[in-house]
Amino acid sequence: MTVAESIFENLRLELRRGCLTLAVLAQLRQEHYGYTLRKALALRGLEIDESTLYPLLRRLETQGLLASEWREEDKRNKRFYRLSSDGERIFGELLKEWQAINASITSILNGTSILDSNDNGNS
Amino acid sequence: MELLDRYLQAVKKHLPWQRQDDILAELRANLESQLEDQEAEIGRPLTAAEVETWLKQIGPPIMVAARYQPQQYVIGPAIFPTYWYVLKLASFWALAIYGIVSAVLIFSAANPGISAVGAVVRAPFVLMNVAAWVTLTFAAFEFAINHSWIAWPASAVSPEGWSPSSLPPLEKAAASGKKPRTYAMAVAEIIFGFLFLGWLLLVPRHPVLMFGPGALYMQISPFQIEPVWYTFYWWIVGLNVLQLGWRCVDFSLGAWQGPRLVQQAVIKLLGLIPLGILIAAPSHLLIALKHPEADQARFGQTLDTINLGVHKGLMVVCAIKVLQLLWEIGQRSLEAYRRRIAATR
Repeated sequence: MTVAESIFENLRLELRRGCLTLAVLAQLRQEHYGYTLRKALALRGLEIDESTLYPLLRRLETQGLLASEWREEDKRNKRFYRLSSDGERIFGELLKEWQAINASITSILNGTSILDSNDNGNS
Repeated sequence: MELLDRYLQAVKKHLPWQRQDDILAELRANLESQLEDQEAEIGRPLTAAEVETWLKQIGPPIMVAARYQPQQYVIGPAIFPTYWYVLKLASFWALAIYGIVSAVLIFSAANPGISAVGAVVRAPFVLMNVAAWVTLTFAAFEFAINHSWIAWPASAVSPEGWSPSSLPPLEKAAASGKKPRTYAMAVAEIIFGFLFLGWLLLVPRHPVLMFGPGALYMQISPFQIEPVWYTFYWWIVGLNVLQLGWRCVDFSLGAWQGPRLVQQAVIKLLGLIPLGILIAAPSHLLIALKHPEADQARFGQTLDTINLGVHKGLMVVCAIKVLQLLWEIGQRSLEAYRRRIAATR
């Protein structure tokens, strides 16, 4: 891997890290267990390694953003996750933040002011 | 399935022990579901080779387990800058003190060569020792903070605890030797250089010019300086002539404004020679009795004490001068390196 490739890879991972959390929280508005969550995200174009997703679920649960319960399904015990009430509130705030960043980047790329866009939207 | 069991067993060994059964049960359920899905897709059980490829994709057990561990630091990012600063400072002072002590020991050793080699060989261990203690202290500090036994000072982490007015005052804009000299300054340096040289040359004939009323005591005292001081004196005169001549050449070439880094370094380096001459005086004899036959019994012991004291003092001065010179050379080299890097960007 060249230096440029290595720098790109590090930046890509940094960029992805926050987005993955947001995507997981968004998907867990519906209940899932680890594997079906991974499949659901992959179906929407977001592939996540097992070794990244499963520990992430644990971490989010420890932080109180997810609630989980063990339940039997297809003759196998599985741990199902969903957003907790705290998780819903924080997810809402993160989503707003992400949308604001997205709008700013779009505005920077288009060379327009975000205030102009807001004004046009209001009129 | 045996391979999956072996894989999970290997993962378990590296999981946090309080939660390992729970984590492992969840991981097993997820991986078994994934395996079933894959088998349903191809309509047959996976072969051992296929299972191996799949597990390889998931990653080595130790790496998978590590993701379940909380992020741990020996020294975390909050205190790392302080740690790094203290480490550099402690290493520098340890080396400086070690250098001075070693210089004294080398000069007083029966075999200075072997003593010097020993000092150089021991230096890395001194540094490692200092680094180990500093690291250990900060690691203990980090551990105590993580366990909430102590709190990191608010001023170090919160913007409210910090004030711009508490910043240290501005350092000198230009280090001495870098500031461009004016024409008047260059002329004054040469004139004072000649005056100083004239004064220095008059001292042997008129010691009162250097020692004041003390010159009278030298005449009546039972002590006299050894000839090695004359060698020392002529070296000092020679160095002053060299410095003055160099300045005159610079002046005649119109280069008085430029920095005199090389000149300063050469003079300082040569300045170590007269010190070395005094230190190397046979039997450390720097002062002697005018009439040894008559005064040896009365002043002999005092004389030995004075000679040994002056000898040790000179060694300390020499060691300090060497360290100063090394420090300056290091600083200048670092500055030159920084400028070169900046120029290439």
